[in-house]
Amino acid sequence: MANIEDLKEEAKKLLREGKVKYIIGYGAGTNGWPAAPLFIKKHEDVDKLVWNPTCVHNLVRFLVDEKRRKARQKQPDKRPVGIMVKGCDSRAVVVLLQEKFIDRNDVYILGVSCGKTGVVDDAKLSKKMGGKKAKKVEVDAQDRFVVTTEEGTVEAAAEELLAERCLECKANFPVIYDVLSGEKTKRPLDKPFGSLEKIESLSAAERWSFWKEQLDKCIRCYACRSACPMCYCDECVVDSINLAVTADTTADEKAQRIRWVQRSAESSENLIYHLVRAIHLAGRCIDCGECERACPLDIPLRFLNKKLEKEAKELFGYEVGFDSALPALISSFRDEDPQDFIR
Amino acid sequence: MEKTLAKKSFPQWIKKLGSWSVYIPRKDKEGRWNYVEADGGEVGLEVLQTTLPPKKILFPQREVFLEFAMTPAGGRETLEVKEVLPDVKPTVIIGARPCEARAAWLLDKVFGGEFRDVYYWKRRDQTSLVGFACTTPPSENCFCTSVEGSPHSEEGLDLLLTDLGDKYYVQSLSPKGEKLISAAKDLFEEPKPEVKKQVKAAHAESEKKIKRQLKDARPIAEKLKGMFGSPLWDEESMSCLRCGICTYLCPSCHCFDINDEIENSSPLRGQRVRTWDTCQFPDFTMHSSGHNPRPDKAARLRQRLLHKFQYFVQVYDKFMCVGCGRCITLCPVGIDIIKVLDKVRENGA
Repeated sequence: MANIEDLKEEAKKLLREGKVKYIIGYGAGTNGWPAAPLFIKKHEDVDKLVWNPTCVHNLVRFLVDEKRRKARQKQPDKRPVGIMVKGCDSRAVVVLLQEKFIDRNDVYILGVSCGKTGVVDDAKLSKKMGGKKAKKVEVDAQDRFVVTTEEGTVEAAAEELLAERCLECKANFPVIYDVLSGEKTKRPLDKPFGSLEKIESLSAAERWSFWKEQLDKCIRCYACRSACPMCYCDECVVDSINLAVTADTTADEKAQRIRWVQRSAESSENLIYHLVRAIHLAGRCIDCGECERACPLDIPLRFLNKKLEKEAKELFGYEVGFDSALPALISSFRDEDPQDFIR
Repeated sequence: MEKTLAKKSFPQWIKKLGSWSVYIPRKDKEGRWNYVEADGGEVGLEVLQTTLPPKKILFPQREVFLEFAMTPAGGRETLEVKEVLPDVKPTVIIGARPCEARAAWLLDKVFGGEFRDVYYWKRRDQTSLVGFACTTPPSENCFCTSVEGSPHSEEGLDLLLTDLGDKYYVQSLSPKGEKLISAAKDLFEEPKPEVKKQVKAAHAESEKKIKRQLKDARPIAEKLKGMFGSPLWDEESMSCLRCGICTYLCPSCHCFDINDEIENSSPLRGQRVRTWDTCQFPDFTMHSSGHNPRPDKAARLRQRLLHKFQYFVQVYDKFMCVGCGRCITLCPVGIDIIKVLDKVRENGA
């Protein structure tokens, strides 16, 4: 596990020397979850940075915001932004580089290794603590979690509290970084797609009823899309702004504009929304699990993305987010690529 | 009217409401609480907070206003338009938190002002709210006492039940409440004189258990008037993801959009529907010219807070926030309305 103190000196230096515009990191949360994203502009504030197993958020999402902000400014500040990334998050940076959404000079990467553990799952944590709120979660020398509540501390084996994605993690330390804290030890990974086994064993009818029930819960708050660093389209297919209106646009044209997905949170519309998102993430999703974590109704969205990750691996031998020099899956082909699905 | 109801009689009372639609909080497979139709079955009444407030029963996420269809009649096409009004049977929401009922009371003001929203009132008039005083705060982020509410507030409720160990103390607050009691008169008893004291003590105790506090909400509302252009909104919205959680799951947020949903284009057939909308979405109130009145996250966070703590106060003299804390608890990046308003209070002070 990385130690935040290792990064603080570097962060202070970067800000003091004006090498970065600001640093996107983790600070203390106030809403009952110990960590929250923190934006630091002044070197005096660097001591507010934290790193612990509740730093679940994928901060790479905020690079999308930064790009939008820059696009709106007449004379944008071209300095990079500093960003704290875990292993999984670093793979999101790789995809953004691969897709040329950002340039390597746009970011200064402060990498943190998860060592042999990772981040905790909020539902597992809450269950373990019987509803009591964790004030602090730490990792001890034996790689066990130590949870502090108002009533004392509780220890737990890492596997008991780790987020599902961490149990299937392929990069427990960043694959790209400018500075790194923590060790580069590999974790044994026996079943990289273990979480899919249960759902894959169901019949088509059973899967349909499973997804129907799950997607019917969706209220289309778009937290999954909003938390995703890969969902960076300026105009999302579900938004009603996808019509360029000019002085010549007639009322009819406005009324007749194509709405691919209706706003109503109904079975058919919810299904289309989630399938469009899943397909758009095929070969791009790095399994940071943010969509599922952000969902207020606990729809198991990770299954959809994990399944497509598995397809990419099995059909094309492609693993997302390890090499920014490789072409993206969707924009490349090889002669030996399977073609038997083309009829 | 004040009564007591033995806890063991509670399920019998619910049974007696057989002709009503009864909504109660239930846990789903993932362990989340939600208001669902009871349809018999267990009625558990722990002090809890559902993910979605009962707003969805009074103001559903999707409401059909009218249906339209082009029909060929004698070589000419005619457009038929049919109004669709909600057809709702008597409904009772059991286990509402007092703050949620207070939010319904605020919605009543919005939908019952100068323009009376017939769709809302068709449901509202048929719906009774049975609240349970929060003897312990259902969420660690509860702050109702800071926004002129309380864990035993009565606004919007028809009955308020307070847990007294083996029985509930039942306060009827409206004719609708009396009707609910008279549906099973025999189960309710006259309260003994000492009970009132117990209730008062339980209510006082419940207020003390609220952990979070927003100080000086009224002065903040006043101060917000001069903060439209403040850089604070930029800073506080940096981590916002622009999702709709804080507003969709808010018991008092009520913005909506109206769209025509075309089922078939030739011959034309479809519905005009109202759906929830939120100031947090990038296309909220976007003009057809392409102009967006709230072009960035800062403007959208400001809109949410100003609507709740400035505009609504100016119009109705109430906060449009009941302090349930859902927006705080459920925000994926931990944006905390209390902390943001704390900064407003301290701004320039």
